[in-house]
Amino acid sequence: MQHRHLLPNEIDLLLDEDSGFGVQPLREHVRGCPDCRARLAEAQEVVAALDEVPLFSPPVGLADRVMNQVPVFVPWHVAARDAVIRWTPASPAARALAAALVAVVGSLVTGLTLWIATRGDMFAMFTGLLGEQARSTVTDAVGEVIVAMFGPQVVMAVQQIGPLGIALAGGGFLIASLATVLGLRLIATSSRARS
Amino acid sequence: MTPIPVLDLANLPDADVVALAQQGREPAYRELIRRYERPVFSLVYRMVRDRELAEDLTQDTFVKVLTHIEKYRAEFKFSSWLFKIANNVAIDHLRRRQLDTVSMEGSPHATSADIAEATSFELATQTESPLQELEARELGSEIERAISRLRPEYRSCILLRHVEDKSYEEIAATLDLPLGTVKTYIHRARHELRKLLEHVREGGPGPPAEEPA
Repeated sequence: MQHRHLLPNEIDLLLDEDSGFGVQPLREHVRGCPDCRARLAEAQEVVAALDEVPLFSPPVGLADRVMNQVPVFVPWHVAARDAVIRWTPASPAARALAAALVAVVGSLVTGLTLWIATRGDMFAMFTGLLGEQARSTVTDAVGEVIVAMFGPQVVMAVQQIGPLGIALAGGGFLIASLATVLGLRLIATSSRARS
Repeated sequence: MTPIPVLDLANLPDADVVALAQQGREPAYRELIRRYERPVFSLVYRMVRDRELAEDLTQDTFVKVLTHIEKYRAEFKFSSWLFKIANNVAIDHLRRRQLDTVSMEGSPHATSADIAEATSFELATQTESPLQELEARELGSEIERAISRLRPEYRSCILLRHVEDKSYEEIAATLDLPLGTVKTYIHRARHELRKLLEHVREGGPGPPAEEPA
C-alpha cells in the first residue's frame, strides 16, 4: 500500500468509516502518508460540515392541513371490532350479565327458528295464502285505476291485443314522450340563444 | 360502554404506527406526520430553496403518502417510501421550473439570435422581502450554498446520506437507483463540495453566485 496514494473511492471508504475487508491497510497507509492524510482531513472537514447541517422547522399546523385533505378509511372488520369493544360493558359484573342476556336471547331465537323450520308445510301454506291475497288485491286496484283513467273499452282492447300489443303501445308512448322532451328542450335552447 | 384503548404511539416503531394508520386510526396518521415533518420539509426546502413552495410540496408529499397508506408494503422501510415520494415531488417541481426557465431565454424554435432575443424576457430586479431575507439567512451558510449548487440528483443523495443518516442501500432503495450509482453520486457530490468550499479554507471571496438547478 506504500507504493501509491489512495484512490478517491478509497478515501470515501475511510470517510464512511467502513469496517469491511481491506480498509485496515488503507488506514495504515494514511498514517504513514502525509499527502493522503491531508486529503482525508480535507474530505472529513466537508463531511463534518454536512453532518452538522440542521433540520428546518415546518410550518405550524401542517398536520391539520394535511389531515383536512386525507380521507381516513376504516376497514369494515376494524369498524366491527371497534363496535364490539365499544358495546362491551366495562365492569366484569355487567359483562357477565350482558353475556347471560345474549345467551337467553340467542337460545330463544334459535328455538323459535327450529320450531318454524319443523313446521315448514304450515308456514308455506300460510305464506302462499297471504301472497295470493296480496296479489289479487293489487291486481284489482290497478285494474280499477286503468278503467277509471281510460275507460272499459281501452281495457278490453288491451286485453285483446295481448302482450305484444301492450309492448308496442308502451314503446310508442315512450318514443312520443322522448320526442316531446327533446322538442321542448330544443325550443328552450334556441330561445335562450336568441336572448 | 368501553372506550377504544389509546396506544402510546410515540413509543411504537414506524411499522406498527403505519399498521394502525392502515386500520383507519387518525392519531396514527398524525404521529407519522409528527415524526417526519421536519426531515421531509428540510429535504424539500433544500431541494427547491423556497420556503413557501417547500411548505406546499411537503404538504403534497404527506397527502400523497397518507392517501395511499394502504398500498405501503411492510418489506420496505416507511421512511424510504416517504423520502422517495418527497424527492419525486421536489424533482418534478424542479423539472417544471427548468422548463419555465428555458422559456425565458427565448423561443426554442428561434432560427436566429435576433428572434431569440425578441422572444426572450428578463426578470425584473427584485428587492428581498423580509421572508426572503430569512430564507437567505437560513440557507445562507457556505455549506448550504455549496449544497444548492449541486445537481439535484447529487443533492438528494448527499442530503439523505449526511442529513438523514441513511445507508447507501437505503438511499438506493429510496431513489430507485443502483447501489453503484448512489456511491458515484455521493463521491462526486463530496468532490464538488470540496471544490466549492475551497475558498473557505483559503479565506477567499468564494465562487460567483449561481442559480441553483
